[in-house]
This record gives sequence, C-alpha cells and structure tokens, in this order.
Amino acid sequence: MSVDAAAYVGAWPFRPIEGTVADLAGVMRANRVRQAVVSPLDGFFYADPSPANRRLLRRLAGRRRIWGAPIISLRMADWRAQLQALAEKRQVRAVRLAPAFHGYKVAKAQEAAELAAKHGLTVVVQMRVEDERHHPPFVKLPGVALGDVVALAAAAPRARVVASAARLGEVLGDAEHIRQLKNLWLDVSHLDGLECVKQARDAVGARRLVFATCWPFFYARSAVLKVDEAELSARDKAGIMMGNAEAAFGLG
Amino acid sequence: MIIDFHAHPGYSENLNALRAEFRPALRAAKHHGVDWICLSSLADWKESPAPAQVRKGNDAVLALAADHPEEVIGFCYVNPRQTDEALAEIERCVVQRRMAGIKLWQACAANDARVEAIAKRAAELKVPILQHAWYKTGGNGANESTPANVAALAAKHPETIIVMAHLTGAGERGLADVAPYPNVSVDISGGEPEAGMVELAVRRLGARRVLFGTDSPIRSYGATVGKVMGARLTVRQRNLILGENARRLLAGRLGA
Repeated sequence: MSVDAAAYVGAWPFRPIEGTVADLAGVMRANRVRQAVVSPLDGFFYADPSPANRRLLRRLAGRRRIWGAPIISLRMADWRAQLQALAEKRQVRAVRLAPAFHGYKVAKAQEAAELAAKHGLTVVVQMRVEDERHHPPFVKLPGVALGDVVALAAAAPRARVVASAARLGEVLGDAEHIRQLKNLWLDVSHLDGLECVKQARDAVGARRLVFATCWPFFYARSAVLKVDEAELSARDKAGIMMGNAEAAFGLG
Repeated sequence: MIIDFHAHPGYSENLNALRAEFRPALRAAKHHGVDWICLSSLADWKESPAPAQVRKGNDAVLALAADHPEEVIGFCYVNPRQTDEALAEIERCVVQRRMAGIKLWQACAANDARVEAIAKRAAELKVPILQHAWYKTGGNGANESTPANVAALAAKHPETIIVMAHLTGAGERGLADVAPYPNVSVDISGGEPEAGMVELAVRRLGARRVLFGTDSPIRSYGATVGKVMGARLTVRQRNLILGENARRLLAGRLGA
C-alpha cells in the first residue's frame, strides 16, 4: 500500500489531460494507493487559485483517504487569510506553492512555510509539472531550483517542506544539503533514469523520499514500477511508499 | 515477449567500466520481464564523433552482445557526416557481425542528403534505422532531427524501415508528421511518462507502428514499462507494442 504525495484533479490547458476525483479513486485502487494528496491543476493558472481550491474541496467532500493540498499564490495580498481558512478545513493537510507559475522567488515563501507549520500544514513547493522542452511556445516556464527549496527548508526548520517534481540530477547535486535536513522530503514523481530511485535513496537516504505519481499528468503505473525496480529493503520501500509521506503530511 | 528497441550501454568510454555500468540495466530489464535489449552506442556522446570513436562504440556494443547473447542485440551507430566510413561501418557491423539495426542520432538531420546512402543501404539489408527526433520548444540542436525531417526521409525512401525515437518528444505534431508514411514507426522512449501519449500514438499510427523502448540509462525501465502498462490498451495492442512489432521489424536477426 502507498500514499501518493502528488496527484491532481482538473484539466491541463495545453493537452487533453483531465482527472476527476472518481478517476483518481480508480487509479488509486488499481495501483494499491491507500491515500493521496491532491491539488487542483487549474490552480496553477489562476492568479488567485481560490476558486480552483473551492472546487477541489467540494469534490473531495466525503472522500476519506484523499487529502487536499490547495494551491496558494503568495502574490495575493490575502494569502495569509487564505492559508488560515484552509487550515480549518478537515481535508486539507498541505498547501502547494507554485512560485514559477505565480511569479515569485522561493525565498519569499519562508513566512508562508512558518505560518503553515503553525497551523499544522505541510508546504509543497512545485518545481515543475511539464518537461520544460515541451512547454507551449507562448509559455516557457523555467523550473524552480531545488537548492532554493532546500534553503527554504533550512530557513524554516519547524516547517515540513516537500519538494515536488525534482529531477534525479538535481537531487544528486543537492544531496549533501538535503541529507542534513529532517524537515524536507522529495517526491519521486519526476525522478527518472536507470535505477533513479535507488540512486536518490543512496544520495539522500530513504527517509527523505516520498512516492508520488503526478497523475493525471503522468501514468501512475510508471511511478509504481520505478520504485518497484529499485529492489529496496522492505523497510526503505515501506518508508518511501507510505511511512515517509505519513510523516511529511501528518497522516494517520 | 518484451523487446527494448532503444537502449544505450552507458556513459563510460572504457569497456570494462561500460560492462559494470550496463549490469544494472540488465537487472532492471530482467526485473520487468524484458527479453531483449537493442543496444546502440552513441560513441563519445558528442554530436559528430570521429570514425575511430564510432568504431570503438560499436565494438563495445559487439562485446556486450557477445557477453549476453540471449539478452542483447546490437545496433550499429554511424555518423552520416562521414558517409564512406558510415557505410563501411554498416558493412562491418551489420553485414559481417549481424547487428540488427542502424542508429542515427544528432550528427545530421534525417533529411540531410548525407543520410540518403545510409537509408538506401538499410533498405537493401532490410534492417531498421532508429532515428532520434524531437520537437523542443526552445529549439532543436543545429543538426537534431525533427519529426518533419524524419517524414521527409521516409517519403524519399519508402522501402526503408524507420523507427522514430522519442514519442513524448515528438508529441502530437510529430505523430501527425509521420502518420502518412507506413514505413515509419515510433518508439515510446525518452521524455517523461506523460499520460495519454501511448494511446494517442496508437490512434494516430495504429498499434503495429508503436514500439517499446526505454532510452536506458537516460530513462528508467520502470517508468517506461509503466507507460505501456498504464495506458488504456487492449491486450493485443499491448503485446504488439511490447515486443511483437520489434520482432517483426528485426526479422531473422533476433538471437542470431
């Protein structure tokens, strides 16, 4: 069984990709995913993601094992109030920040990380969704540097920070710093390359990695099989697939 | 049967280091039930390697195929900028040493006149050309093929079997480019496991023109197998993609 630390619902505007909560539940069953942390895809594209978050939370109502990670833009003057209001929702376990999409530096997120920690929420920093080489010509969006997310976690030690969609080369490059932080996790959704999960485990330790599919953008099966092929110890695998995410998101 | 139509041995130049580097790939392939790996060198991973580098890379692939005769099948990498040497290398590796395909990367775009002699020879030998192609938003490399370049080559050489690498890199536009040319198939290697791409390729080209390939070690076996196992396909379509199409294209050279 596993926890998916990064799944989405909603539509992606540049390709016919759309995921509903019902679809997600089916994908979870098919891939033995017990719980998922979910954000609204459309929230990346709204200056104020609140409407996307409201839709997400309406759709998640009554789902016991699908948790919300609404998206907050720190460019909105009322982001603090938004975060506080979200923290009161039973189904919200995290807030997702998308600095590249909303146009601010990760360093600006320290206060948000600290406020989230105060309210018991985890902060997920979205580094990218789509391969930068495939962006539409009118939207070329550089990825967020993993080093900036590492620095955020270091600057806000009481916060729980998840770096979402890091690539293997980035993880290996920042491994030394990542190993020193107990409040930072990396989701495996965008790790790729031969033995990518094993390499990441060797570099940063199994406790820092959390399973994630990036569904519906990616095939969920790809994430399952790349962890599976790593031939990890039962303890490491259980941590990556479930235990670490339970710690990162405060899931029971 | 599962055949990885697109893999590379590794990044090392030294054969023994390459052997060590290749071991985890074999392990991962076996883990996922992959029966055969079609292995091609990219020489020194530079855009236009010298003939000696090309030969050295192919020698390494021949050595790995000899090490693993029931798992590895070699493809001959050539640099079309050096046409005479490329043809001689095809003679050495494909005719004499039974390599099963020809790999073209980024030395020339597929529609470059220097590729023509290679395309003709591939047709004569009835071996497929595995051609790198991509549509990159920021622009391709100076000599990096686009799917439109591949389509132009296919139109000129309808007898040549071409497998265009990197489905996700080709995307919707790339599939539309090559769809009219039945001598072109696409491999699913490269790029991230973007959902819906395999189904799209099947809709555009038909399941008989889609092949499993990983681009290992750049990409993982698990992520790539997941593209096929996660796609909404019939069992028949899945089997074609995973191995039957490759077996057909490789004709009698599999396991020879």
